[in-house]
Amino acid sequence: MAGLPDELTPSFLARLEDLRIRTRQQYAGMGKGSHLSPKRGSSLEFSDYRHYSPGDDFRYIDWGLYGRSDKLYIKLFKEEEDLLTYIFLDASASMAYPEGDRKFQSATLIALALGYVALASGDRVMLRVLGGSGPQPAPVFMYGRPRIVELAERLRAVKPGGQIDLASALAKELVAIRRAGKCFVISDFLMMPNVVTHGLGLFTAATMDVTAVQVLGGRELSGQGLSGDVEVVDAETGEQVRVSMGARERDQYHQTLLRLSREIKAFCLKRGMHYALYTTNRSFQDFFLRAVADLGLAH
Amino acid sequence: MGLLNPGALVFLALVPALALAYLARERASRVTVSSVLAFRALHAMRRERFGGRPRFSWTFFLELLILTLAVLAMAEPYVVRHENPIAVVLDNSAQMQARTASGGTRLDKAKKELGAMLSTLPHTTAVTVYLTSPEPHQVNATRLALSQARSVVGEAAATDAPLDPGALVNLLTELSSDKRYAKVIFAGARALAPPVPPGITAITVGDPVQNFAIASFTLRRESFGAEALHARITVANFSPAPQTLTVTISGDGKRLGSAQSNLEPGATGAVEFPSLASANVYRAELTPSDGFPLDNVAYATSGSVKSVSILFVSPTPDDARGLASIPGVSVTTVAPDAFSPHELSSADVAIFEYAVPKEMPSVNSLLVMPPPGDPVFGFQTVPVKSAQITGWKTTDPLAYSVNFRLLNPNAGEAFGVHPWMAPVLDGREGALLLRGERQGHRFVATGFNLFPYLGKENLPMSILTLNVLGYLAGVGANSGGYRTGQPWLVPAGIETVTLPSGEKVAARPGTLFAQDASQGVYKLAGTGGKTTFRAVNFSDPGASDLLSAAPLKIESHAAAQKARTVTEKTPLTIYLFAAILALLALEGFAVYRRRSAVGA
Repeated sequence: MAGLPDELTPSFLARLEDLRIRTRQQYAGMGKGSHLSPKRGSSLEFSDYRHYSPGDDFRYIDWGLYGRSDKLYIKLFKEEEDLLTYIFLDASASMAYPEGDRKFQSATLIALALGYVALASGDRVMLRVLGGSGPQPAPVFMYGRPRIVELAERLRAVKPGGQIDLASALAKELVAIRRAGKCFVISDFLMMPNVVTHGLGLFTAATMDVTAVQVLGGRELSGQGLSGDVEVVDAETGEQVRVSMGARERDQYHQTLLRLSREIKAFCLKRGMHYALYTTNRSFQDFFLRAVADLGLAH
Repeated sequence: MGLLNPGALVFLALVPALALAYLARERASRVTVSSVLAFRALHAMRRERFGGRPRFSWTFFLELLILTLAVLAMAEPYVVRHENPIAVVLDNSAQMQARTASGGTRLDKAKKELGAMLSTLPHTTAVTVYLTSPEPHQVNATRLALSQARSVVGEAAATDAPLDPGALVNLLTELSSDKRYAKVIFAGARALAPPVPPGITAITVGDPVQNFAIASFTLRRESFGAEALHARITVANFSPAPQTLTVTISGDGKRLGSAQSNLEPGATGAVEFPSLASANVYRAELTPSDGFPLDNVAYATSGSVKSVSILFVSPTPDDARGLASIPGVSVTTVAPDAFSPHELSSADVAIFEYAVPKEMPSVNSLLVMPPPGDPVFGFQTVPVKSAQITGWKTTDPLAYSVNFRLLNPNAGEAFGVHPWMAPVLDGREGALLLRGERQGHRFVATGFNLFPYLGKENLPMSILTLNVLGYLAGVGANSGGYRTGQPWLVPAGIETVTLPSGEKVAARPGTLFAQDASQGVYKLAGTGGKTTFRAVNFSDPGASDLLSAAPLKIESHAAAQKARTVTEKTPLTIYLFAAILALLALEGFAVYRRRSAVGA
């Protein structure tokens, strides 16, 4: 499709259309959709009974129950509404490093693919960018498949930069969000684990259905390219650490990163969140289609 | 252990320079990362190091080692070894084939006694074995263990080459003064004259053996231009009693005749075999047999009787046609204008007909009717219509058997008085034939033409011509063949040589052929199937005298008296260079692997 990155090929988009967002709770939407809503409605799924009141539609009177109890009851059905989908994209400076790993580009691809799944399912999508040096997109929901191009343009305008505190940034966003729904947080999560868990914990406390997508660089994860005495500088805080990198140190570094990822994943699963890890040396399409369940999607 | 060049150790000052270079290289590179979170633990690990010393770099220590080894190599280290190596010199010359009273040969006895002596030495003794024949040489390039040396001695065989006493004395003198050897053992037939240098132990097996020998076997033509060969065989009696020696000669296996010679003890005589029947190879055998059979047989080949090569310089080359019909003569013709003095190098005799060379020829020459006034010979001639001979020197070899009354030379020229050539034939107007010697060469000048050579058609002129050529070439060049152990040049065109044993070896023309330590006939084969024979004989009267061989006098050196335990410095430089190369290869491989890993 014109205006979309090359990775989102027509065949890949066709396969995305077979997917839909899965939530563990029912959320009220803003219009008709395909997700069961806590509201009573006109779907085929039975919800409850209530006593008949004059003026109710005779078609919903349960005559069988009247025969047994000699009382008139009206059958109530669940409502099916669209899902409010929030995509939080970490655009802090850390997403731009290591430069050869294209972490931020990969994160935007994931955001775009998730957005397309939502829009193709008839759900509403709101993009929120955490940090970044570009203009903050307006906090509006997009609806309808053609809006994917607009979503792509918004993402293209975002440049990674600046420093964020994920917990406070998510807290601020949570205040701005008025209605609960599905929430995707895309970040490298390279920060203290308590910051990550605090931030994500706020969303679960607010009854949001959260999927955390961690994006790490392939070289970043293995520590390739780092050899000998190296002074590493934090892209966000500017903190400098002098290390001597050898094979043993590289292995130690790799294990540390994996341990951090495992901690985040364990926290997510414990709190009923979805978690997926994408390393940029993998094929994007392959990752997305294989990690459907981890991403909180379903066929 | 020590250093031959300790001054080179100053280069060890380069070590701090290398360390500084490494410290400079060890400065950390600056890399921006997404988060330093995972690096903090590594930083803590770094701080744990004692004293915060620089990170261990094995390549630094490797290069430090290479540098140290290189400096050490420049200092030329060595280790000192105290050894008792010995040299063993075993005489394997032809004289060692002589049979002793016990029935075995001298060599067998020498090997037995030498083996017994070696078995008394410590088993760690290093031995260098030398053999004396065909020329003194070391058997193995390196020193041998005692057991190997005994094996080498046991396998040594006697050659047919006579002992070279001078070379043996030189070898023993050199070895006895060589500090590398604590002891020299000589085992041979010749005794050592006292005082024997203290470093030499001699095993003498030269018991007297009575011997009859063929001292020489030569072939020559009966006369210049004759077809028949004449054999002369010299025999010697090296026994304490008078002896009648019989020599039997055969040609190509066919008996041709025999002759006897009665000789007093120590005397030498000759037997002659004139007009021998034609054969390729002649074999002479002496009887009765004795304790040294090698010199009772000798060989000669007809091909070795030298032919006379004549260079004929003439404006009328047809005059030389008849010369080629003379047996043993080969003729090459050349025009005077094309003549070069270099062509004389391959000629035995030069004939200048109606011409004179521009410089004194380097070979014996005949000048036929030379033009007058040449600056080289300065002939003064008078033309004569009839060169009538009026007188001749009857005792002159040129005039031998010539009937001058029947000799009618054509018109020619008469010579005036010549400063260094004397007249042999005289005519009315002056000398008709001159001869003389200059610069070691013979020259003959004739005032009439001897050519063309007509043989029996003009007998007086032919006899005179043969006399002249015989005088210039020397009557019947003879050949006694070659001596065992003396290398000879491989003639042009020869590709292979078949030894008397039947073994065929490749040969290159112009090079020395040294595989001639066996007595017998060698077959030389060349291109186009051309074969010649070459006789190689022991033929050494001095070596055949097995009764009274003079002892060898070995010079004693002060160094020889001191050297009992040998101190040898073994240089280690080559091992250091090998280690440096190995370490460089290791570092190169490691750097390649590391770059591959970092770049991946």
